[in-house]
Amino acid sequence: MSFTTLPPAAPDTKPDPISQSSSRPVRNLWATWRSWSNRIFALREDQLFLFLAVLIGIFSGLAVVCFRMAIEWVHLVSLGSSMFPPVPRVLIVPTAGGLVVALMVIYVFPGARGSGVNQTKAAVYVSNGYIPFNAVVGKFLICALGIGTGQSLGPEDPSLQIGAGIASLMGRRLNLSQEKVRLIAPVGAAAGLAAAFNAPISSVIFVIEEVIGTWSAGVLGAIVLAAVSAVVTMRSFMGPESLFRVPPFRIASAGELLAYVVLGIIGGGASLLFLKWLAYARPRIQKWPSWTQYFQPAAAGLMIGFIGIRLPQVMGAGYSAIDQALHGQFSWKLLLVLAALKIFATGLSFLSGVPGGMFAPTLFIGAMLGGAVGSIEHHFFPSLTGTVGTYALVGMGVFFAGFLRTPITSVFMVIEVSGSYTAILPIMVANLVAYLISRTYQKVPLFDLLARQDGMILPSIEEQREQVPLTVEVAMKTDGAVVALPDELARDLARRAEAKKDAPILVRTNPGQWLLLDREEIRQLAADGAMNTKAVEAKPKGPLPVLFRDQSLEDALHAVGDWPAVPVVSRADLSKFEGIVTLADILRAFRNASLE
Amino acid sequence: MASSTSIPSDASSRKKYSREIVLLTTLLLLLLSVVFTAFAARMYHKKYHVLADEWFARGEQDFHSGNARAALGDYRNALLYSPGNTNFQFHLAQALAGTGRDDEARAYLTILLSDSPGSGQINLELARIAGHAGPKAMPEALRYYHAAIYGVWDTDPIAMRWRIRKEFCEYLLNNDAMNQAEAEIIALADNTSGEDIPGQKIAGNLLLRARMWSRALQEFQTLLSHDPRDPDVLAGVATAAFELGQYSKADECLNRLPREKLSAPDLARMREVSKAIVSLNPFAPGLSTDQKAKRTATAMALAQARATACERQSDGAPSGSHPTSGLESALARSKQNEGDWTERNLRRHPERVEKAMPSVFEMEDAAAERCGEPQGADYALWLISRSRGGNTR
Repeated sequence: MSFTTLPPAAPDTKPDPISQSSSRPVRNLWATWRSWSNRIFALREDQLFLFLAVLIGIFSGLAVVCFRMAIEWVHLVSLGSSMFPPVPRVLIVPTAGGLVVALMVIYVFPGARGSGVNQTKAAVYVSNGYIPFNAVVGKFLICALGIGTGQSLGPEDPSLQIGAGIASLMGRRLNLSQEKVRLIAPVGAAAGLAAAFNAPISSVIFVIEEVIGTWSAGVLGAIVLAAVSAVVTMRSFMGPESLFRVPPFRIASAGELLAYVVLGIIGGGASLLFLKWLAYARPRIQKWPSWTQYFQPAAAGLMIGFIGIRLPQVMGAGYSAIDQALHGQFSWKLLLVLAALKIFATGLSFLSGVPGGMFAPTLFIGAMLGGAVGSIEHHFFPSLTGTVGTYALVGMGVFFAGFLRTPITSVFMVIEVSGSYTAILPIMVANLVAYLISRTYQKVPLFDLLARQDGMILPSIEEQREQVPLTVEVAMKTDGAVVALPDELARDLARRAEAKKDAPILVRTNPGQWLLLDREEIRQLAADGAMNTKAVEAKPKGPLPVLFRDQSLEDALHAVGDWPAVPVVSRADLSKFEGIVTLADILRAFRNASLE
Repeated sequence: MASSTSIPSDASSRKKYSREIVLLTTLLLLLLSVVFTAFAARMYHKKYHVLADEWFARGEQDFHSGNARAALGDYRNALLYSPGNTNFQFHLAQALAGTGRDDEARAYLTILLSDSPGSGQINLELARIAGHAGPKAMPEALRYYHAAIYGVWDTDPIAMRWRIRKEFCEYLLNNDAMNQAEAEIIALADNTSGEDIPGQKIAGNLLLRARMWSRALQEFQTLLSHDPRDPDVLAGVATAAFELGQYSKADECLNRLPREKLSAPDLARMREVSKAIVSLNPFAPGLSTDQKAKRTATAMALAQARATACERQSDGAPSGSHPTSGLESALARSKQNEGDWTERNLRRHPERVEKAMPSVFEMEDAAAERCGEPQGADYALWLISRSRGGNTR
């Protein structure tokens, strides 16, 4: 982490064009501004980063508000204000929209192609925080056009990238250090996602769970601030309501959780099928002749249009249909059909290369599937107290957890978008089941899979999360040292040391302070024959760094340094010797782990 | 600093601007963005309000013109633009119920009810939906109807409660829940203002439907004092009086009814029967001894003819299907006293009317038991017999 203070003097050293050429009031204003800005830039970079996080949050919130309005405006202009537009319109608009999207992606905004999450990750891990602003503009325009004309994708992933792009631009323009510029994209991503979902907690968790991978204190504060500012901004323009209104419900008995486990299994299986389909079809479609790219989004649009004639709920993000499902407005047959067709339509839109997000379709499919499973379960077990809406709500989380593979985000996301905490237990249980099913049968998660198919090996946060770290315990030897008592006589110690020929000799002096004794010195003192010469008089080296058995081997590597050995002690009692670690032990442990 | 290898253009651009200018530009841009977004959001919300109101108005138009299916789509469209609008949700629920999609309507209404549990309107819609579900949902319907009656109504609560109670009474009557219906109809009648003539008529008719004849007669007689020519009231009085055995009153009212009103089959039949009763009944007040004797003799002849016909008719039926004692013994007894009950003898001994008529009634009752409900004059005699037995409801 960098704690550099940026020099505030830079502007002072340059001739100031405004103060030289302008009138007096302008000069005064400029002077006041310079004094303020100097104060801002005199902040430590960490503090400046937090200040910028607020600005990024506000900018992202504004951008997302405009983005949402743009989508709605395109929808109104192209498809009209009715839920059931006339048939020719339903067929022509998504097709024509797809054609324009393809042309824009190919000729004007090639950077807008692909997943916003992966582009943000690539900014962090590949391009030092750089996200071209052109991609942000492209994402805004193309996604507004694509989603507005009925492509089955959501606005959240583009919102995430828009936020990240704004943050990246600000970081670069304000000459932040490379480390901060690299970290600023996730800050903007969290802001964009928070504004899109009106969900600050889950967006923070998502960015940590999926983009950064660690709860780094250096960036956590900025992410939280940005997310909160974005949500506050968004709410000031769009109102404080949650994305969905959830009918009241209660879960009468713990036994009902079994019904949600069934939902978890079905939802996990469905999300797995969707993942497998995308994983199978995407590389194959990418191999099609390049001229087909002009027509793929249009073809997808036409097929979605055909679905939209009877079931317009499938078109676009589908928030209102989710709301209806939560209110038990659909029969189980219709719910199942909607879930299946949304999977198909979203797959088509995504595979055809239309930029857009998978979050909203994921919630849609989950809600429909959950509602259908709930209805069927109710038919066979009428005593279940959870409403169909409850199952739809839990289903949203289930599909999110199984498809996007962010288990903690999925729980908080559902709670935040619904504003209801009541279903926390079923959501947790069902999401876990779905996540485990998906994790077991599809090793690579969606975002990593897409990155790999695009030729990028971005760090897999899921793999990192699930890696069992090697600890000192693996490498340490419990009987690998001779531990001397502080007042032990040199001749006694020399006698004991003879039994362990190559073992280092350690002595504890003050509580928790360990020193290394030289074997030759001890032998010399013992050979000199003085009866009362103590071992500590043998010029000990130290104090030695200490390790604990649960510390990582990376820590141990740092600690060992040039010392021949480092003691491992108890966290509860630093005087209690538990073992010893040498550089050779650490390297051996690493080697063994890699062989395993 | 950002890597110059990955973003050369950016690195060069950074050299051009001082951080003060960039920050100032950023803040100015932020200000502009806020102003622009505020303007756009205002337009957006305005447009949404307009669209929501337009679709809602269209829905209202469709719903009130009886096209609930079209209204359904309109309300849904309205809710697209104003999803939290409870008024739209309520109307959508109404339209859903109107198209027979009761489950969906119930789902919406239950949510609305959880927000405003005292709402009369929501409870009423839920009651109606429960009413559609048949007798098994009757407890639910009763609960919602009561909640609707005692619920909150924004406009004219007294009239609304009266209307709902009336609907509730009809629901109960339609479902043969007479015990609950009686209490509700009495409450309805009691809550009807004396000046509310149409309301009193409705209450009176409901009392008739609940077979509460005395109370109905009382209600209609009060109304009759306001307008003695009101055909609805006359019909009500006639019906109640007829059912109470007050046939002369019924006949009198029926005679005052306009011809077009009498074209109703039930009133026409009632008039025919009551006329026959009035002309046949020897117990009618104010009759002379001769008239009594004549009517008794006529009644005797009619009853004997009916009994004889019924006996012949049942002779063709398989033996043992009817007990022989009732009809045959009644007929035999009347034949036995035939000489005493001639018109002349009855004129001479008017006290014999009191013995002759029970024999008439015995024969009519026995014939009705064996051969079914009589017609025409026999029906009139049978009703006189029943009214003599006393029907005090």
